Amino acid sequence: MVKLIGAVLILFSASMVGWQIGRFYAYRPVQLRALLVGLQMLETEIVYGLTPLQQALLKVGNRLPAEVGQLFQAAAGSLREERAQNADEALRLAIESHWQQTSLRKQERDVLTSLGQVLGSSDREDQQKHLRLAVTHLRGLEEEARAEQSRYEKMYKSLGFLCGLLVVILMF
Amino acid sequence: MNEIMAILPATIRSILTALPSAVREHLEEIRLRQNQPLEIRFGQQTSYVTATGQLTANARQGWSFTEEQSVKLLNLVSQHSLYTLEEELKRGYITVTGGHRIGIAGKVVLERGEVKGIRDVTSFNIRIAREKKGTAQKVLPYLFDNGRILNALIISPPQCGKTTLLRDIARSISYGSEWSSSRKVGIVDERSELAGCLNGVPQRDVGPRTDVLDACPKAAGMMMLIRSMSPDVLIVDEVGRPEDGEAVWEAIHAGVSVICSAHGSEIDEVARRPALGKLIQSGVFSRYFVLDRSKGVGTIHGIYDRDLRPVKKGEVTWSS
Repeated sequence: MVKLIGAVLILFSASMVGWQIGRFYAYRPVQLRALLVGLQMLETEIVYGLTPLQQALLKVGNRLPAEVGQLFQAAAGSLREERAQNADEALRLAIESHWQQTSLRKQERDVLTSLGQVLGSSDREDQQKHLRLAVTHLRGLEEEARAEQSRYEKMYKSLGFLCGLLVVILMF
Repeated sequence: MNEIMAILPATIRSILTALPSAVREHLEEIRLRQNQPLEIRFGQQTSYVTATGQLTANARQGWSFTEEQSVKLLNLVSQHSLYTLEEELKRGYITVTGGHRIGIAGKVVLERGEVKGIRDVTSFNIRIAREKKGTAQKVLPYLFDNGRILNALIISPPQCGKTTLLRDIARSISYGSEWSSSRKVGIVDERSELAGCLNGVPQRDVGPRTDVLDACPKAAGMMMLIRSMSPDVLIVDEVGRPEDGEAVWEAIHAGVSVICSAHGSEIDEVARRPALGKLIQSGVFSRYFVLDRSKGVGTIHGIYDRDLRPVKKGEVTWSS
């Protein structure tokens, strides 16, 4: 009886681990898409609305899902409170404190930091160019992430379960 | 002054706070040039400022404005959004909260032969706008003829209180005075100096019956206001371009009085400028007020009538 309970527990936890890893692959494209949409909204705010960066970031941040939105909100916050001297620094601070909560990877992080270096510091045309470039980059990454998702998500989920099963079989 | 402090980098802010209060209160200009000492103008004097806020005549002792600081300053002025200042960078000055104006110079970027903007901004001239109420008292008696507002031109070199006077005239007409009842006033504030608008709301008191068209090109703005707001008098700063002259002409023939200002030190000098010369020759203006700073900012040097004859001899000052 005890053995049976142990087996069920092992099976359950192994599947959970697999499921967690799989979920990471499932969330990444979703958040990438949100980030992409966010940058497009930022482009509209900057190029057509001529909204000052701080307000633009806040507006965009409020309209995005929490994990990605808080990146923008944090950047707006540090600009408002003058914790950051410029947009680059603000974005860096935001990434440092909130990146862990997203399922995004280093590539996305690099796109954002390089965008930060020019954000707000040139005329509209130039801003648009850089924002579009970042969006194109993210689009590429999104496709990649989706491919990875379809390849690995199910795999990790079943792998978790199967590993659990293996352990259980070996135990018996 | 606080509005200016808010947009300055911390280092400059602390230097200016360390200035003697007598100097700080009369600060008119803060001039910052990359790799050059910080210069201030207060009252009629100019001086360099050391890192500890002492005045000095020795340029080498002055606190040097670095490239890093100039980038910071531009960041703060633009709220980290240079793209919002495209039009301002094209014109070479930025108006900030409170109607203060920051003139800029640096490397100009051209596009098809026209100025597209300024890159690498290296010189800043922060001009502190001061509101002086009651400055119009000396000119108001000459501004009305049987309750009708006369068309007037204020001629003044830069820094002589032209805009201050114009603003006070707008306010006095809008509130009403002992010479006339209150009237509807329309201000076309192309450089956001007269009313110092922020998000369209005048930061300076321009009177209760005043409509302000902020940051609008003068020529187009005057026509817009006439059509949309039916003002009794139009107030416009720094008329100079040919299309401005034509708009003044149009406005006057639409039955609206126009009070405007122009750069210059003599009527003859202004009359030689193409756009204004035509207006002056055809006797559009009934009053000319010539300002200088011989007895402090805002000395009224002379008042002339339509035929350029002096209306009043002598000088009247309203500076304190």
